Amino acid sequence: MIGFVFRRLLAVIPVLLIVLVLVFSLVRVVPGDPAVTLLGPGASDVQIAALREQLNLDQPIVMQFVSYLGGVLQGDLGISLKSGQPVTLELMKRLPATIELSVVALLAAIVIGIPLGVFSATRPDTVLDQGLRILSLVGVSVPAFLFALVLQLTFGLWLGWLPISGRMSPFVSFEPITGYYILDGLLSGQPSLALLAVSYVILPASVLTAFLAAVLSRFVRSAMLEAIEEDYVRTARAKGLAERAIIYGHALRNALLPAITVLGLAFAEMLGGAILTETIFAWPGIGRYMFEAISNRDYPVIQGTTLLFALIFIVTALVVDLIHGWLDPRVRKRLK
Amino acid sequence: MSEVLSFLRNNRLAAYGAGLLLFVLMAVIFGPILSPYQPTKLNIMEALSAPSATHWLGTDSFGRDVLTRVLHGGRITLGIGIGVIVIAFSVGVTYGTISGFAGGWIDVAMMRVVDAVLSFPALVLAIALAAAFGASLENAMLAVAITLAPQFARVARAQAVSISVRPYVDAALSLGLPNRRILWRYILPNGLAPLLVQSTLALGSAILQTASLGFLGLGAQPPIAEWGADVAANLQYARGSPWVALAPGTAILLTVLSFNMIGDGLADWMNPRRRKRQG
Repeated sequence: MIGFVFRRLLAVIPVLLIVLVLVFSLVRVVPGDPAVTLLGPGASDVQIAALREQLNLDQPIVMQFVSYLGGVLQGDLGISLKSGQPVTLELMKRLPATIELSVVALLAAIVIGIPLGVFSATRPDTVLDQGLRILSLVGVSVPAFLFALVLQLTFGLWLGWLPISGRMSPFVSFEPITGYYILDGLLSGQPSLALLAVSYVILPASVLTAFLAAVLSRFVRSAMLEAIEEDYVRTARAKGLAERAIIYGHALRNALLPAITVLGLAFAEMLGGAILTETIFAWPGIGRYMFEAISNRDYPVIQGTTLLFALIFIVTALVVDLIHGWLDPRVRKRLK
Repeated sequence: MSEVLSFLRNNRLAAYGAGLLLFVLMAVIFGPILSPYQPTKLNIMEALSAPSATHWLGTDSFGRDVLTRVLHGGRITLGIGIGVIVIAFSVGVTYGTISGFAGGWIDVAMMRVVDAVLSFPALVLAIALAAAFGASLENAMLAVAITLAPQFARVARAQAVSISVRPYVDAALSLGLPNRRILWRYILPNGLAPLLVQSTLALGSAILQTASLGFLGLGAQPPIAEWGADVAANLQYARGSPWVALAPGTAILLTVLSFNMIGDGLADWMNPRRRKRQG
């Protein structure tokens, strides 16, 4: 197992390096002199020269990359052109909001997606199964911004049940401790605040959950259908096990193993959807921050958020692989 | 053709998808011809009127007929989707085929780059690239194509690796044919089938992603009728007049759904295990 972990970690390094080159190149593909483009018309020569120096544009490209790499390794992602604050600091401020949102979405997706997949697989090609298949295809096909709008109109505007934007009511006094509002509400002994935070997270999380649960239920369904045909299920039937024990004890257990990988990758992919979702629901996370940075042409922030998303993706894939390898020795062998 | 029919007969979901796609195609091909309105003609007097007999899906904030804009937008959105796939296919397949045919450390190095591109959530990379290139429809298409190309590269590489060891490639090599000719004449044509399936699968996400860029203001610019950009442009009126934003949004959903239903059926069809059971 230790060898497996080591080999898997080693494989990440070249990928990470190329990712850094790509993110570094983002500012360099801006047409014309980046400093002039970034500052826009009306910038003085002094400002341009200062920015060129700040971005190291006056040095050879290789040196620029080396100093960028050195900065990233020390957690320095540059300075936001808009706020003048270090990008790393700005990202840290907003990361809890995004993590809270995506973890709620992930948990909901597991609770909804797996049972739906099992339900479908145990009655294949019935009307219910076909209906659920179409529903899950709608889940992966619906644009995040359309679903978000429908939820806002229905539950926010017409029914008036849930707030449609932000993370917390501006009318309550609330001191965040950890930055995770639901947790903070509980920690500070005010369960009503935690509930309020939950009411804010429901709609944006639903948008992300729809995609995740759809991917998960589709995968669980097809993995279960394959597992049900395996010899060990036939053996279980032959020795007279109850159908429940066969489905949950044998088929589902084996189908869930690869589902971890699928869920991990879908989770990382979902972060792209988080940019749209956070923007629409005014959720103050890194997705919305990236959108603001694009409107402000704040390139260091665009670079920083892009890199952060890629890092989350890589770490998720790594963790998923390690869990998979830990649970399934065949995966460990394959990498040798 | 008979294979297509037997596929659709055996696969209800794909058949529904094909029907839905046919409906969408008919609507965007013939709709604009039949519609009495122009997609960009302003008529402020009739701004934001509700759906009625004269305006089936109502009008937007400039008094433009929403249905006409959706039908015209469909031509643009579908055109974008196909354009993106053509770029992604050409780049990805060329790259992957060369990598698989070359083998050795060249292959390893080239595939590491693919891994790296796949290490970004697709939409994040598309947004970052589109932002760096500058907001325009062409740049958005290019950005989305770059994020989709690795999928094609991977499939093409796998095909090239398995075809490279076939006897006819050995024969061509021993005859002394140049590498380029072997690639074009023997390897590429023989590995095409799964790549075409991949194209159908990717069309849905190409449309979805380009629409998302349009929604963020990084794609089609006004007054072009593109579905994603139209949803964003009408978002502020959605409270009072929901049809202006829901109509183009639903159009995206139906189109992407039809491609995904067909793709789902195709994937099922290609899976030998399922085929045996059905068969």
